[in-house]
Amino acid sequence: MICADDDPDILSLVALRLDRSGFDVDTAKDGEQALALAHARRPAVIILDVMMPRLDGVELVKTLRADVNLRDVKIIMLSARAQDADVARGLDAGADSYLVKPFKYPELAFEIERLTA
Amino acid sequence: MTSKRPWIVLAVGAAAIGGYYLLPFKGQSIVYVLIGVSSVVLAFWGIRRNLPAGRRLAWYALALGMALEVAGDLVGDSYEVFANREPGVPGLDDVFYLAGYPFLVVGVFLLVRRSRRPSLGSVLDSVVAMLAVSLVQWVYFIDPYNHLGITDVAKRLVEQAYPALDTLLLVALGQLLSQLRRNVAFAALLASFVLLVLADEIVAITNAGYASLSWLDAVYLFSYVLVAVAALHPSIADIRSTAEDTPRLSPPHIALLGGALLTAPAVLIAEKVAGHRVHLSVGIFGVAIAAMVLARLFGLFDDVDSARLGEQRARRESETAQQLLAVQNARLRELDTLKDEFLSSVSHELRTPLTSIEGYVELLREDEGNPVHRGYLDIIQRNSERLLGLVADVLFAARVLEGQLRFQFEPVDLSVLVHRAVEEARPRATGAGIELMSHDGSVPQVEGEPARLSQLLDNLISNAIKFTPKGGRVDVRSSVGGEFVRLEVSDTGFGMSAADREHLFERFFRSQTALERQIQGTGLGLYISRAIVEAHGGRIGVSSAEGQGTTFLVELPVHQ
Repeated sequence: MICADDDPDILSLVALRLDRSGFDVDTAKDGEQALALAHARRPAVIILDVMMPRLDGVELVKTLRADVNLRDVKIIMLSARAQDADVARGLDAGADSYLVKPFKYPELAFEIERLTA
Repeated sequence: MTSKRPWIVLAVGAAAIGGYYLLPFKGQSIVYVLIGVSSVVLAFWGIRRNLPAGRRLAWYALALGMALEVAGDLVGDSYEVFANREPGVPGLDDVFYLAGYPFLVVGVFLLVRRSRRPSLGSVLDSVVAMLAVSLVQWVYFIDPYNHLGITDVAKRLVEQAYPALDTLLLVALGQLLSQLRRNVAFAALLASFVLLVLADEIVAITNAGYASLSWLDAVYLFSYVLVAVAALHPSIADIRSTAEDTPRLSPPHIALLGGALLTAPAVLIAEKVAGHRVHLSVGIFGVAIAAMVLARLFGLFDDVDSARLGEQRARRESETAQQLLAVQNARLRELDTLKDEFLSSVSHELRTPLTSIEGYVELLREDEGNPVHRGYLDIIQRNSERLLGLVADVLFAARVLEGQLRFQFEPVDLSVLVHRAVEEARPRATGAGIELMSHDGSVPQVEGEPARLSQLLDNLISNAIKFTPKGGRVDVRSSVGGEFVRLEVSDTGFGMSAADREHLFERFFRSQTALERQIQGTGLGLYISRAIVEAHGGRIGVSSAEGQGTTFLVELPVHQ
C-alpha cells in the first residue's frame, strides 16, 4: 500500500492509522515519488492527494491507468478540493474512490475493505 | 362625419360666396356679414372641439383677430344698409379692422413659438426679413400715399396703416411657411393669410390710383371661411413648431438671407427702370439689411464651427470612454476568475489543516484513558467541526450570491431523507434534553438533489434544537398538499419577534433571541436554506411569536 500527500502531517496521520490497522505502508511526498514507489513495490492500493507538487493526483491516476503493469491497482483519492467538479474530475481520470478531507478514518478503512474484498 | 365637416363648410361657404354676387346691394351686405359671423362662430367651436385646453391660446388670438375684422365689416355695412352711405375715412370700421391685425400677428407668433426662448440669431433672422419686406411695402404701398395730395393727415395715416400692418402679416406668413409642420389645417390657415394679405395689398395699390374691384369681396370672404375650415379640421392638433433651437446654415436659410440682401438693389433697379425718383430710404434699408445679414452669417458660421468642434470632441470622448470600458471589462473578467480561484484555494487551505487537527484529535481521543482529557478533546473536535461547517457555509453562500449553484436533480423520496436527518440529529437533541420526533407520512417523490435537501433538513432541525430550551420538543412532519410536498419543522422554543421574522432569511442576519441567548451561528443557515428551496422551485416560510415556538414550512413541487 502506498500513501502520497504533500502535507507531512496528514501523510504521517494516514500512515499511522493504516499501520495500526496492520497494512504495510510506504509514503511519498509528491506524485513522482509515488509513481517510482508504485513501480518498485506494485501495491494493491494507492491512496493519494489531488494537489501535489511535480505530478498532481489526477495526472498520476492517468499515468497509472495507462501503465500495463499498474493499471489494476486500486486508487483512492483524498482531497480538500470538495467541489462536485473536483470529485468528478478525479473519478473521470480513473480513481476508484474519492474522499473529501477532512475524513474520518473509518470511512477510509471502509473504502479500502470494499476495494480489496 | 368629423373629417367631412370642414369640407362641407368650405363647400357651403363657396356656394354662399357665389350666391353673394347674385344678390342686390343691401342683400350683399347682409350675406357678407353672415358669412363672416358664421366663420368666426365655427372657428371658435372647432378650436374648442379639436384642441386641448392648454393649446388653444394661439388659435383664440387668430379667431379674435378675425372676429374684429368681421366686426369692422358689420360696422361698415351698417352704414351702407341703414345710412345709405360709406363710413368715410377714418371711420369706426377702421378702428375694428386695424385692431384685428395685431391679434392675427400675435396668433401666428404664438403658434410658431418655441419651447425655449428664441436665440438671438433667430430674432435677427426675423428682423432681417421684416426690414426687407418693410422696404418693399414702404416704396410701393405706403409711400405713394404721401404723394396723392391727401390733405387730411388722419385719413392718410389710416390708409397707410393698412399696408404697414400688412408688413407684419407678411413676416408672420414667412414664419408660418418656415417653421410649422405641414398638413390640411396648416394649408387652410396659410391660404387664408395669403388671401387676406393679397386683398389688402391690392386695396392699397387700388387706393393709390386704380379702379375699385368688387371681386376682392370674394377673396376676403374666402379668407374668413378658410380659418373656419382650418379650425374644424382634426389635423389642427398636429400643427406644431418645427423650429430648431439653433438655426443651421440650410439652403432655405441662405435663400432667406440672400433674398433679403438682394431686396434693396432689386427695388433700386426697378425704380430706376420705371423712371421714378430714387428714395434715400432704399439706401438706408439696403445698408441696414446688409449689415444685419453679415452679422447673421458670421454668427451662423460660428455656430456651425462650434457645432463641428463639439461633435469632434464628443466623438473623441466616446472613443476614450469605450477604450476605458473595454479595459475595465477585461479587468473585471480577470477579477472574476481570480475570485473563483481564491475561493477554491481558501477552501482547500482551510480544509487541509482542519483535516490534520481532526485526525490527530480523533487519534488522541482513542488513546486517552483520562476521561477529563477525553472531554477536552471532545471540545476541540466539536469546535473544529464547527469551523469546517462554517467554511462550507461561507463557500456555499458565496456561490449562491454569484448564482453559481449547480444542481443535479433526481427523483427523491423525502420521507427517507427526513428519517435520516432526524436520526442524525437525535444525539444532539438528546444531549440538549429535547424530544425530537418525526411524523413522516408517505409522500410522493420530489425532483431534487438529495445532498442539498439533506443539508436543508439538517439546517432546519439544528436550528430548532438550538433555539429550544431543555425539556422542549421538536417535531418534523412531511405531508402532501396539492402539487406540493410540505415539510414542517416546529419547535416549542423561544420564538421570535415580527421584526426578526422579516429579516430572518437575509445573509448574516442574527435574530435578537440568538444574540441575547448567545446561540452559536453565522447567520448563513437560513439564507442557504432559502437558496436551496428556491433552486428546487419551492417556497419557505416561517410562523413564530416570542415565547410561542417557531414553525418552518417548506413546500417543494411534486415530481411529475
